[in-house]
Amino acid sequence: MPRRYELLSILLIVAALGACERRKFCTAPDCGTLVDAAIGEPGTLLPASTEDITARDIGEQLFLKLADVGMSLNTVGDEDFQPLLAQRWEWDGPSTLVFHIDPRARWQDGQPVTAVDVAFTFDAYNDSAVASPFRAQLRRISSVTARDSLTAVFRFRERYPEMFYDAVYHMRVLPAHLLRSVPRDQWRTAPFGRQPIGDGPYRFVSWQANQAIELQSDTTFFLGRPGIRRLIWRFTPDPGVAVTQLVADQADVREQLITPELIERARGAPQIKLYPYPGNIYTYVTFNLRANGDTTKPHPIFSDREVRRALTMAVDRATLVKSTLGDFGKVPPGPMSSLLWIWDPEIRQLPYDTTQASRHLNARGWRDHDSDGVRDRDGQPLAFRIAVPSTSQLRRQYARLLQEQWRRIGVQVEIDELDPRALTQRQVSGNFDAVILSRSNDPSPSSGISQTWTSAGIGGSNFGRYSSPEFDRLVDRAIAAQSRDQSKLLWRAAIETINADAPAIFLYALGNVAGIHNRVDNVQIRPDSWASLLRTWRIPHDRQIDRDRVER
Amino acid sequence: MMAWLLRRLMASVAIIFAVVTFVFILIHLAPGEPCLAGGDTFTDPDICRLLVRQFGLDQPILVQYWRYLVQLVQGNLGYSFALHRPVGDAILDTVPFTLQLAGAALVLDFTLGLGLGIYQALRANRLPDVVLGNVTLFVYSLPTFWLALILLLLFGEKLRLFPVGGASDPILCPTVDSLYCLVDRIWHLLLPAVTLGLVGAAGTARFQRAAMLEIAQQDFVRTARAKGLPEPRVVLRHQLRNALLSFITRFGLTFPFLLTGAVLIETIFALPGMGRLTVDAILQRDYAVVTAAALIASAMVVTGSLIADILLALADPRIRVHEDAALDVVTA
Repeated sequence: MPRRYELLSILLIVAALGACERRKFCTAPDCGTLVDAAIGEPGTLLPASTEDITARDIGEQLFLKLADVGMSLNTVGDEDFQPLLAQRWEWDGPSTLVFHIDPRARWQDGQPVTAVDVAFTFDAYNDSAVASPFRAQLRRISSVTARDSLTAVFRFRERYPEMFYDAVYHMRVLPAHLLRSVPRDQWRTAPFGRQPIGDGPYRFVSWQANQAIELQSDTTFFLGRPGIRRLIWRFTPDPGVAVTQLVADQADVREQLITPELIERARGAPQIKLYPYPGNIYTYVTFNLRANGDTTKPHPIFSDREVRRALTMAVDRATLVKSTLGDFGKVPPGPMSSLLWIWDPEIRQLPYDTTQASRHLNARGWRDHDSDGVRDRDGQPLAFRIAVPSTSQLRRQYARLLQEQWRRIGVQVEIDELDPRALTQRQVSGNFDAVILSRSNDPSPSSGISQTWTSAGIGGSNFGRYSSPEFDRLVDRAIAAQSRDQSKLLWRAAIETINADAPAIFLYALGNVAGIHNRVDNVQIRPDSWASLLRTWRIPHDRQIDRDRVER
Repeated sequence: MMAWLLRRLMASVAIIFAVVTFVFILIHLAPGEPCLAGGDTFTDPDICRLLVRQFGLDQPILVQYWRYLVQLVQGNLGYSFALHRPVGDAILDTVPFTLQLAGAALVLDFTLGLGLGIYQALRANRLPDVVLGNVTLFVYSLPTFWLALILLLLFGEKLRLFPVGGASDPILCPTVDSLYCLVDRIWHLLLPAVTLGLVGAAGTARFQRAAMLEIAQQDFVRTARAKGLPEPRVVLRHQLRNALLSFITRFGLTFPFLLTGAVLIETIFALPGMGRLTVDAILQRDYAVVTAAALIASAMVVTGSLIADILLALADPRIRVHEDAALDVVTA
């Protein structure tokens, strides 16, 4: 045999031996490896400094809240909340809430979790130097103090139905002994954010930049040993490739399959089971009520309520949803995702009625005087531009469908497909006519709807600058209502007011579908945060595959 | 030669400086701000202002530029707004993957391309040449991203012969700690490298065929044959050696192509390379990362070009430089 072939043979044998090397195998009852095909990689895992969705999912495993919302997603009162770090709680007067920390709770470096950590966490979330995205949601809590090592006392500025929700939902308790020495304005870049030590069911193991984050179950976790030993978030920038990984059996979970095409692809894989659950996103086209580029003047078209109503009535939302999303989307009854408990298909909305839409436009003087197919008034055509993010195929498709529906009643629309950052800048500066946007809700209607649609949101995320004293008043009353039934009635009145004013057309609310490997058992998905109950998922021994038995 | 090399090095530094300056200004002028999340996440304007101040982005662009240059001289590439970490660390994490991908693709490009080009030239206008000519033209016309998706669907999803994305098996081999993991990493690299290298190889084959045929018409080749030299010697010593000059020129031109191709390939194959880092940074207006990526990419391209020039000068006595003569035959 020639010498070069000998060398090649030796190399191949060595490689083969390397491939067959002995590895450790898991035999414990909680064996299992769950690989999530995640789209985005977080910048930090420090919960106070990020609202990145993947960071939230991983944070659910690393850092505990005092308590969490239940599967009912009822955010009013405290009866539907599940204890986590707090063993129990009680009300000490109308605006004071006392939490008793579970004495078994430990940080993963062995230190006990105390009320001092809770007070420290509130202080940090409220510190402007930390620039926490959750700061606004805590504005009605006046203070958090430690009465003793295991008792944390929350005092509120006022009494309202979602006090408990505000106290527990937005903050994950942080280790004061590890973070106190880190300057608050450096939290975003703190090494702790890339190597966190938590108190949750899983411990941080490793973070390979742009590749994966690995967690390992904490077998001493005080609320019970998690069902699956290893969790891996594998970062894949393209949603299609993420689904390919799932279909090719190289990942176990894709929590949002996003489009009907991707759902069908996942459905075709025999090892994948689909789990539909309510989505937390709704999409709408918002009209700029102020002049494009000059917020001091009214918009020549959209400042007219009747024109907005006509444009809304000219859109057949039900058919659009059916043709683009099939069963995976619904027409929202107002500015809300299907996650919210105020969702009610009976809420009054403007009908699809092109005849009435044309009549409204005629009455406002918008007629096709020169027979060019486009209505005009005083020589000005009824024409505007609609902006969409170039990254969203669905919204680009919707823009074209809207363009066609409005063309039928003599309205001319041009489409601007923009880079998302450039689009956001235009929204903030008021430099647009109309824009198709999506918003996500947390389980409470109070924060999302008031931030985006009340007068208080102008300068924030109320980009269209809709302002209705009646709507504002109803929202304030709904938030302050003392019972859930009363609150629901007031929310309905508020939503019907905004629907009648038509500052936007609420196009679709997406349903979510998760694709999960069928060997995973006891899958529970809480719709606002799919990973919140991951510690209860299991992979039964008889369904385990090779990757479940691998140990590092 | 040394003086020329020194001049080329200085010119390279000037080119890199110009690229960095251009990119720094361009990305700052692009619409959109780093703290305003694009799409559906909305950052509170107060928080946005605070972050902008913390990262010094509220300063005039010239002040920011001057600070950046001072940092750069000290070897500091700045802090990433989106990654929450030093840019140098992020670059160090990603450059090896891009170099591995580009290197593997380059090897495939030139070995396959060179081989096919020579084979075609030796059988010019016969059936193998015609068939290969059409095949290489077809492959060269394929969009790289499309080819990547097709290969991924075919070999990853349908046949399950190759992994669907990633640089390594996240379960068994998060890091290269054994020979098995080294093999695993190569296995992960194969499909992206083939995608990138195949299109390049088709171009190289056509380029090399044309160069070989052009040289074959030269008098010195005809003379060599007339002298009765054996055909392999004519081809290898006279024809191929001279055709290599254009091959070296192509090497200098290929490197930028591979880097830009790597951007798409890294995104589709979820490889943690510099291309993917740069795309994400551009979308997030992460100024420091974009500028650093431009710096590294331009340094790579300039280095590739310099290597090509040196090889060209060494290979061709006609254009070999002397200390007192400037070299005009540059490929950059």
